[in-house]
Order: sequence, then structure tokens, then C-alpha cells
Amino acid sequence: MIQFYAYKMLQTSKGTQPLNVSFNIEKGQFVSLYGNSGAGKTTILRILAGLTNAEKLLIEVDGEVWDSSDKKHHLSIQKRSIGFVFQDFALFPNLTVKENLEFALQKNDNKKIVEELLELMELESLQQSKPQNLSGGQKQRVALARAIVRQPKILLLDEPLSAVDDEMRFKLQDYILKVHKHYKLTTILVSHHLPELYKLSDKVIVIDKGKILKEGKPNIVFSEQKISSKFKLTGEIIEIIKSDIIYVVNVLAGNNIVKVVATEDEINNLKVGQKVLVASKAFNPMIQVIE
Amino acid sequence: MNVLNGVITQIQSHEGISLVKAKTTKDIVFTSIVLDTSETAEYLKEGNDIKIIFKETEVIISKDAELNISVQNQIPCIIQSIKTGKLLSQVNLLFGETIIKSIITSNACKQLQLKENDKVMALIKTNEISLSPND
Repeated sequence: MIQFYAYKMLQTSKGTQPLNVSFNIEKGQFVSLYGNSGAGKTTILRILAGLTNAEKLLIEVDGEVWDSSDKKHHLSIQKRSIGFVFQDFALFPNLTVKENLEFALQKNDNKKIVEELLELMELESLQQSKPQNLSGGQKQRVALARAIVRQPKILLLDEPLSAVDDEMRFKLQDYILKVHKHYKLTTILVSHHLPELYKLSDKVIVIDKGKILKEGKPNIVFSEQKISSKFKLTGEIIEIIKSDIIYVVNVLAGNNIVKVVATEDEINNLKVGQKVLVASKAFNPMIQVIE
Repeated sequence: MNVLNGVITQIQSHEGISLVKAKTTKDIVFTSIVLDTSETAEYLKEGNDIKIIFKETEVIISKDAELNISVQNQIPCIIQSIKTGKLLSQVNLLFGETIIKSIITSNACKQLQLKENDKVMALIKTNEISLSPND
């Protein structure tokens, strides 16, 4: 279990703002941090990794204190059992895929893990390739594998999929879930992508201006109780088309585009790129078997 | 979306489904059916403030006041304005201070000879009304 408490003054574009958060994460949980940019999500990951300090800190992982500002205790980053994947991954350009993974090994580590990861992440056919010959999605798969070479307790993912297209994002999500389960990791993901949060997370922590707004299961945090409707999707507006006196709003929800009719008044509050909840009553949709 | 404020006056639940009655400011009672009970949704308590939500395209307009039909929500209104399109028209209905918008076909509008200040009934089926806690 991870117990995390941090207080730190952050410099943001709108001046200083305190980050003041406290949360617990169960072993094996997949937790996502969600919120606007500048909310403090990346800072939380960096503090947990030991890359950033804070005025007040208490981090305990499985009973072991990693940080305690009271006791002036700070476990160095090398001694923390974590794997980290950023959006802009950096693989060693002069090393092959396999060598990139081997580089992460330390003296007494079992080398078998590299073979195992190459197989699990379906990188065997690419193992002799140099990073420059890989696609964005393939590089990110290598970065993910490399983060797990040392079999960390905690995997930290900071918007790892924001640079890849939707199809690749979908596949990479499956790889992330696969390693999360296979290595019984506790994973913390920073993401803005709602369908992704729904698919991957056991728990979502919503952070705004340095504080936790709410936390819980994704469906409860994002929609439950806001409206009684049971047929709900969250997605992003991709197009708004005027038709006669009404408007048709195209919403991308997961891999599907749904169309919603809206009035002129409603359109004033909607724009392309916005995240929206689409709701209908459970009484309306028809259900048919497809084969 | 039409969004009206109301207060829950009665909840009748059976096997996970509830028939909820809510009174609006003009003492008009709306009935909604939801797949929730006071156990599954905290806000479903008599006396609680709620929002009554329904889509413009689900509002039926009738010129007759006495109707022998199954639609449970029948609200006497006055037509405030009509915006006519080629195929569809938006009729803004007034009851008290509240506006209910209805989108019907322009053909229906013509057939009923709807015009401003007409007295009409707005009809909404029970299963077209969603509820939301008003906080």
C-alpha cells in the first residue's frame, strides 16, 4: 500500500499555488490522476519517484518510509522500486531494443526478465532494431518494457499515450493492462483521456489547483448521480453540424461516433474538442443481437 | 434540454424502479420513472430539490385540453414564440415564468395552425424525463 501526503508551493502561470494532497493506494490498484494542466499531477509523480522535493512530505510504501519531512528522511531515487514512462520517452539511440532493456538491468538482476518482456510486449521481431527505425507506438512499447525490467513495485505513467494516434493508443492500453496484471504492479497514470481512464483505472483521483476534488471508481467520479439517465457515454465533440433549426453534434466516445441533436441555445455552450457526457434514459435504446 | 426546478413530493418504488413525482414552482406535478430507488441514489428523497430534465424533441403539443391518453405529464401552456424551419420548428411554450421548448415538424405546426398566444398542452411521457440532484 502507498500512503502519500505532500505539501509544496508550486509556481504556475497564474502565480504560486500550494499543492496539498493526501491519498492512499492499495497494492495492485490501477489509479489515474485526472485534472487540468498545472493542477499538480506530474509533480505528484515526481515527488513519489524522489525526483522532486516538497516542504512537507510523508510517503510510505508497504510499510517502508520513502520520504518523511519530519524525520528528514529521503530515500534516494535509485532505492525506490519504481518504473517511469513519460510522454517524451528517451531511448538510447545507439542501442538496439534489446540492449535498451538490458541497460536497465543492474548487477545481480536476472537477465531472463529481458527475454520475458520482449515476448510479453511482442517485441521479439524488433529486438535488434535501433530506436530510429521504430514507430512512435513501438518506441513507447519499448519504453514501457524498459520501465519494468527491474520489476518495480510501482509503475508511474505520465501521459504516456498522448503522442500516439487513437488506434495505437488502444493497443498500448492493452499492453499497459497486461504488464500491470502480469507483474502485479501498482500503477499510477496521469491522463486527460476519459475513455482511457474508464478502461484502465480501478480508481480516479481528480485534482484541481493542487487539491483533490474527488476520488473513486471512474463511473462514479465522472457521471454517477449527476443525472438519473442510465444510458451514458463520455466523449469528445469532434464536429457540430447545423441542420435546419437544430444542430447535430458528433461525439467520439471510445472508438464510436455518436450523434446527438442539440438546439441553438445549447450549441452556444458547446465547442469542438470539449469533453461531454451524453445521456439518454435506459427506456429509449433498442437492443439487437449482432453476428 | 429543458431543465426545470422541482421538489420531490412522492416516490413509489418496486424492484429497483421508481415512479417519482416532483412539484415545480407553478404547482405543476411532473412524473418520471427511473431505474433507481432511494437506496441506489441518495438524492431520491421526498422533499429534496431536483432538476427535471427532458429533451425538446420529446415534447408533444396538443390543442385539446381534455385528452384521454396515457401520457402522464400534461402541462397547460401558452405559445410564446415559434421558430419555423423547413422541416422542423421550435415552439417556445410558457407556463408561469417557465419556458418549455418543443421541437416538432413544421408540418405538425401547420396542421395544428399553431400561432403565438395559443393555449396548448405540452405532453411528455413519464419515461422521457430524467432527474438530477439540484446542488
